Amino acid sequence: MRLSVLFALLVLGLTLSAVWSLSAGAVPISWQVIANTLFDLEGPKQEFIILKSRLPRTLLAMLTGGSLALSGAIVQALLRNPLASPKIIGINSGAALGVCLMVLVLPGVSIAWLPAAAVIGGVAAALVIYLGADLRGASPVRLALVGIAVGFVFDAGVDFILVTSTDAQFSTPLIWLTGSLWARGWTHLNLVWPWLTVLAVMAMLLSYWLDLIRLGETAATGLGLRVRFARLVLLSLAVFLAALSVSVVGVLGFVGLMAPHIARSLVGGSHKVMLPCAMLVGMWLVVLADAAGRAIAPPVEVSAGVLTAMLGAPFFVYVMIRAGRATRV
Amino acid sequence: MIGISSARGSAVGVAVPLLVFACGICAYASLATGGRIDVAVWDLFRESGTGTSVMRDIRTPRTLVALCVGVNLGLAGLILQAVTRNPLASPAILGINQGAALGLTLGLVIPSLTSVLGLKAMSISGAFLAGLVSFTIAGGLRGRLDGLRLVLGGVAVGAFSYAMVRFAFTLEDDIARQVLRWTIGNITDVRMAAVREIAGWSVAGFLATMLLAHRLNLMALGEAQATGLGADPRITLLGGAIIAACLTGTAVAVAGPIAFVGLVVPHICRLIFGADHRVLVPATALLGAALMMAADAASKWLTAPIEIPVGVVVAMIGAPYFLYQTLFARGLD
Repeated sequence: MRLSVLFALLVLGLTLSAVWSLSAGAVPISWQVIANTLFDLEGPKQEFIILKSRLPRTLLAMLTGGSLALSGAIVQALLRNPLASPKIIGINSGAALGVCLMVLVLPGVSIAWLPAAAVIGGVAAALVIYLGADLRGASPVRLALVGIAVGFVFDAGVDFILVTSTDAQFSTPLIWLTGSLWARGWTHLNLVWPWLTVLAVMAMLLSYWLDLIRLGETAATGLGLRVRFARLVLLSLAVFLAALSVSVVGVLGFVGLMAPHIARSLVGGSHKVMLPCAMLVGMWLVVLADAAGRAIAPPVEVSAGVLTAMLGAPFFVYVMIRAGRATRV
Repeated sequence: MIGISSARGSAVGVAVPLLVFACGICAYASLATGGRIDVAVWDLFRESGTGTSVMRDIRTPRTLVALCVGVNLGLAGLILQAVTRNPLASPAILGINQGAALGLTLGLVIPSLTSVLGLKAMSISGAFLAGLVSFTIAGGLRGRLDGLRLVLGGVAVGAFSYAMVRFAFTLEDDIARQVLRWTIGNITDVRMAAVREIAGWSVAGFLATMLLAHRLNLMALGEAQATGLGADPRITLLGGAIIAACLTGTAVAVAGPIAFVGLVVPHICRLIFGADHRVLVPATALLGAALMMAADAASKWLTAPIEIPVGVVVAMIGAPYFLYQTLFARGLD
């Protein structure tokens, strides 16, 4: 009972934020006009701005926020590391480098291939971390550090590409680099939503694997789970979710870190409930960040990624200190 | 040098002249590269002409700034690594670089603050505050400095400051590309005025670090021993932090937050010269200067005719080295 109330509240909050996101920006739009436009009612409408620009943007914010949150929840459970998230373990930067390299090396290629490039980059980063730290049994904090370093390496590559190319095509990646939904439309949404939806459903269906893995390797094996296989599948899910999100909205940091923690404190650790909750929280975070970025100083836009980093970096410190206490005592 | 064993002494005797020589070569490379091929270094010593003014007004200031920034960041890294006893400590990784950038940005965005303190003071206090926050997060104030948490906390402080910088600039104006170039570290457009701003700080910082060198050596023995030998570690820490903040703050004010110099240079020097800070301080200053001048030359020559910010060149070397360190450094967990 309590759970259904909580989920209803989350959905309600998300809806309200989405309405705010539709109304905020260089041209403020009242909620009556939004309702008129969306449900094709009588009265004044703003079809162009809402249907062509803000609606796809808001939907994309939900989609990527949910995906990053799921990815973060999976990574945290797999590595049993509260500090892990797609950004912290370098997957986001890897995906970003993949996209930049593709734009640089194959300038003529259609943007339909961007997600593929992002996935390749994300997998490369995940491999470095997996081979370098996880296999050697590094401590959680050490693993986070290695991930950050991998992120630095990929970021250096991205910076190099961005500053050496004078092409106009790189002015977009520049904004995109900090994670922004600026100028994202239906094309970008159509590019990723089928994949992300399938991946999200798979993550939900496999959530009990995460619960089993949390019990420890021997217990999970005893309960009939092929642990290595399960870990590989889940890690791929996490990498794909994060990399595909990055391919359309750029490096939105810290969403994958914050959302699972908030969800866990709301509904506890059982992944069957936690994953949907984390997804909703992630959606909410990104929709809010995007809307706030437009509302702070119109017509100037603050990148959503800047706002999530301003929230997320202190949050990271908080989690780190709390995790340190838990292991020390 | 006093108190160095003879074997180490002979190594120093060979290596220091070599370092000076390397500095000379790097300075020449930095002076000789640039957009115009018809300008040569000996134009510097002519009476007048286009070549001479290019050399005097554009290339020389740039090389000198690279030199000073290299000295500053190298020394700051050396001090931080000594006082925290953490091999990964350095201005960029503890968030001090980004803190300085944030101080500077606040100074630019809020003019009333600048009129009271001046831009350089803003940058230095930003650097100091960021370092203090990272240190506090790692439990330094309670006397239990946790190595990994120092680094991770520093990265978080850095990420936060960087986000704030970007936030302030997007609100101010649509100058994304310049901001990006500056936030990576760029010395393309420096003139003689910039050299005058930083050179004094570099010299003073070098002398102050030399005075601190003995205390840094005692720090390596452990806090108890250092106290026993009459050097209160808290004073070493505070003095070192102030010097490092001044060195970093002035470097960032001129060139932007250039990462990884402060990490790599002290490591290489320790590899060659051992652990005595009385040798390490001059060696780090020389090698830092050489590295930055070489990076400046590379930034002009690698992708000519486009120049890349020198910070990118350094990051391409420094980031993989940092990754290597995080994988294999001992004494962290």
